[in-house]
Amino acid sequence: MSFFLVMKAEIVRSFIIMRRYWFRTLTGMFIGYGMLMVLIAGFIYSRPEMEEGLNRFDDPTAATNFVLGFIIGMFAFGVVGMFTQGLQGMAATGVLEQLCMSPHGLAVNFMAQTVVGAVTSIISSGIMVFAVTWSVGGMLHWDTIPILVLLTLTFFNLVGFGFMVGGLVLVFKQVGQVAIILRMGLFALAVFAREEILDQPWPLALMLHLLPITDATICLKYVLIKNQTMTVMGPDGETIEVFRSLFLYPPFYWLIASCVLWTFIGLTVFRFMEDYSRSKGTLGSY
Amino acid sequence: MTDDYLVELQDIHKVFTTRHLLPVDEETRKRRLFKKRDVYAANNVSFGIRRGEVFGLLGPNGAGKTTMVKMISGLVRPDKGQALVDGLNVDKKRKQVLRKVGVVLEGTRTSIWPLTPLENLIYYGMLKDVRGKLLRQRAHDLLDFIGLKDKKNVQVRRLSRGQKQKLAICIALIADPQVLLLDEPSTGLDVQSSRAIKDRIMEMTRDHGRCVLVTTHDMHVAQELCDHIGIINHGKLIACKPTEALLDVFSEQVFVFRTDKAPTVAPFAEIPGVVRADLEQGMDGPALVVHLVPELEARSAALYAVTRQLEHADVRLRAIAQRQQNLENVFLRLTAESDLAESQ
Repeated sequence: MSFFLVMKAEIVRSFIIMRRYWFRTLTGMFIGYGMLMVLIAGFIYSRPEMEEGLNRFDDPTAATNFVLGFIIGMFAFGVVGMFTQGLQGMAATGVLEQLCMSPHGLAVNFMAQTVVGAVTSIISSGIMVFAVTWSVGGMLHWDTIPILVLLTLTFFNLVGFGFMVGGLVLVFKQVGQVAIILRMGLFALAVFAREEILDQPWPLALMLHLLPITDATICLKYVLIKNQTMTVMGPDGETIEVFRSLFLYPPFYWLIASCVLWTFIGLTVFRFMEDYSRSKGTLGSY
Repeated sequence: MTDDYLVELQDIHKVFTTRHLLPVDEETRKRRLFKKRDVYAANNVSFGIRRGEVFGLLGPNGAGKTTMVKMISGLVRPDKGQALVDGLNVDKKRKQVLRKVGVVLEGTRTSIWPLTPLENLIYYGMLKDVRGKLLRQRAHDLLDFIGLKDKKNVQVRRLSRGQKQKLAICIALIADPQVLLLDEPSTGLDVQSSRAIKDRIMEMTRDHGRCVLVTTHDMHVAQELCDHIGIINHGKLIACKPTEALLDVFSEQVFVFRTDKAPTVAPFAEIPGVVRADLEQGMDGPALVVHLVPELEARSAALYAVTRQLEHADVRLRAIAQRQQNLENVFLRLTAESDLAESQ
């Protein structure tokens, strides 16, 4: 209940700021669109070897794939950033101390802020993905229930990871700088993640599964780009495309497992670190 | 005891450990790799604040004032002892306690600058479970009370420092807390803003039955505002008394004898009834400062003896004045004595 009360306050705050700085919001989206178009033009279509490389994965919609990966990467970068840079910024301005003194607790306040921030990010990213995909002649396939399920799981996966990093930042302030590298790693993984990268020796494959973005990106690309179809061999040796629901797709179950794992680890680490920071007397300060 | 106090600290103990890399050893003058040092923020501190009372916590920089405030507001956990608010242990019942406490911490921005004061109050009110018409009404009333009514729709980043500080107090009051903790509320403010804030604090304490804890360096503010004063140094509470009683803590009377030339001090210190004699050089010439015992007869005799001694030393007396004891003098003497005891 208290989570929804805090979320309402966050929605009011975000709405006021978005409305007050509408020009900044709008230009941000235009700049994002422009940057993506330049990246696609520069990296994919101007470099034959890059396109060739992408085609090795037998993906006919390389540009759309790239754009979607880029946007998911930006989303991951942003969500984890809310816990690191956001936390540092709030500590520097004194707002964090106020949140720590809220009766709902720091974790609930952060969760609410992140949900509101993520919904805003999903809406603006969605518009950008649609615009860029349309511009390059690609196509995305919409299937409401799988997409909502995937976005929710992806979000909680990243929030769990963010809580863990944020908890560490509460105590060890300089972890914030290391977190930038982690966020860039997640971003890169989201851009290039596809089913084929899991074909590795099992320890490496397991590590990739445990990272919070790998299976989320693979599943999102499976639904949005591949339209939940798989290529199988027909009785005469020919390849045919068959529909296979997301809920029967193995990476989806890896995603659920990773989501449960990161949520548990994140909340546990955050609460422990918050408690430790309270004892050290550094809670809310930077 | 607990029933009488709205806020109570019982045997609070808190040590912060600081670590220094490559410090120079004071004895050997050689550089060491690593050194740990314990800093006492609270050393068995106990005091209480009653409803309707303004309690001033004074102390030099780093004495532990802000840590006390943070312990009452649940931001710092004591190593030993407990902080109670309305009988609730801050550490164990933090959520309930935070509904009863409003805090303004020193030097923090607190408010969200892209929002207006009214929007800030609505946001923080929602975070503290105040909702609907009550929240709007209270936000307007507070802005009116603190004198920000005409700035309610101006973005916070356009407000002056004093106005931002007033808003921070409003934010602390939005959930109508029983306890208000103010950490250096008048730092960096001009005289008018400082006075306005002080008047508002007195009004809300007396009229609304809240209890207020103020930490400050401004002795005049403390003397005028506080009913009860605690002085803290190196984490130790070295005095805790009602303001009037604290001003009487050094009950000797101080007299200033302005003279045409500087007399030799030693003979004055030997006069019966004289506690101490010092020489000061003022703008208008030398002055003999004599501390006398409080008893009336002994004091009169000592005063007469001092004037006779001046006459005997061929020093012409220009004026005699009694120096009023103030909180600043009391504070300086108590902390100096405490520092001396600490060094021994």
